[in-house]
Amino acid sequence: MFLVHTPLSNMAACTSRVREMMGLLRILRHFPQNERLLSTSILRHAAASDGPPKFTPPTKPVIIDKTQKEASLRRFLSPEFIPPRQRTNPVKFSVERKDMIQRRKVLNIPEFYVGSILAVAMTDPHVNGNLNRFVGICIQRSGKGLGATFILRNVVDGQGVEICYELYNPRMRKIEVLKLEKRLDDNLMYLRDALPEYSSFNFDMQPVHYEITGDVPVSPLKVKMKPKPWSKRWERPKFNIKGIRFDLCLTLEMMEHAQKWAEPWRPYDMLKEYDTFSLEEQIFKEVQGKSQNVNSP
Amino acid sequence: MRLTLRALISHGRVARRIGLGPESRINILRNILTGLVRHERIETTRARADEVRFYAEKLIDYAKKGDTNEKSMKMADFWLTEKDLIPKLFKVLAVRFENQRDGCTRMARIPNRENLDRASMAVLEYKGNPFPPLFPMKRVSELNLLNQLLKAYREEKAQMCCVWLVDA
Repeated sequence: MFLVHTPLSNMAACTSRVREMMGLLRILRHFPQNERLLSTSILRHAAASDGPPKFTPPTKPVIIDKTQKEASLRRFLSPEFIPPRQRTNPVKFSVERKDMIQRRKVLNIPEFYVGSILAVAMTDPHVNGNLNRFVGICIQRSGKGLGATFILRNVVDGQGVEICYELYNPRMRKIEVLKLEKRLDDNLMYLRDALPEYSSFNFDMQPVHYEITGDVPVSPLKVKMKPKPWSKRWERPKFNIKGIRFDLCLTLEMMEHAQKWAEPWRPYDMLKEYDTFSLEEQIFKEVQGKSQNVNSP
Repeated sequence: MRLTLRALISHGRVARRIGLGPESRINILRNILTGLVRHERIETTRARADEVRFYAEKLIDYAKKGDTNEKSMKMADFWLTEKDLIPKLFKVLAVRFENQRDGCTRMARIPNRENLDRASMAVLEYKGNPFPPLFPMKRVSELNLLNQLLKAYREEKAQMCCVWLVDA
């Protein structure tokens, strides 16, 4: 009900009405329950009009949703916190975790999964504005501890580009999630052999709003592939890929031939199991506790 | 052909190479495990006993979760080729080791096999089995001649000491 579309033909009337609305907004900001109803279209119109003096729009109100309790917020522990099954001293992992939390206090590393679209800004001395920005879909998250990396893929001028970024690199300036979603697989390396339309994303893509509660949306997209040969035999059961449309590129015979490499004893082999449930709980509590220590003064 | 060193360097590999390949290895271990659950004490080569030991303890862990648990039932169904042992696993072995966290098996080394291969052998058993123990407790008997003589010597020495103390 506070939406105002000012006609830009009449400049004087436009600026006066805008000034009125600014005044109204400033008054309304003192009543926090109405903040959600405020629209920011007025501010955008204000920025568009080029009248002296240059109008700088006031900062947008931050909407903190206090209706949702903490319990319903999504619990996410970044996978690089979980130590691998090794013979190393656990002191190494706890010290590394401390350093990771310290870095996270400075740089906000958001929650993201393989299949979400990210925009990353790194400092680069060879670029004009010192900041090197890249947008792409995350195809793999690997590495544990401070060396954790993620690979972003995009198609630039018809050329597929993959860049492997380190999460805790000191040159990392900003990681923002443009679209948070999961895919049917944990590893999207098969996008290299898929049609380029599945890996191309606009550099000027706007961030899509996502919920902080509930489950992450899983995109059921099944990708169409280029003709064989591929870089890896993705139809083999060891990759366990669900996100490819095999029915369009492979015959039934080829699928059955690929099943020869299936290891039916794998799910029953107890040696290969790594149960991280209790470890995850413990580490999650530790990380939460330490990150909240700084937030609460 | 990919010439990787991954196949040559075995850093961090926990599974031994037994039999003809991974499938063969699992089948051999499965047979040994079934035999172990049936007889509760089994004699095999040392390497196989060591591998089966891990799987035997994990199987007991799964059995402790109860037979209503789907995953436990699938595991038991896979690992025990003789299906009449599945109720034995859940009702006898799981109950026996209810209160123990780990340490359900015991392995003891044996003299080498008599065959031409002279393989190093081991005995693998579940603790609490009805057979006589592998490491029998050595009880020292007082009625040996030597022990009697030593006892008499100790008593005489004690008497001499008392006499000496009284004298002085």
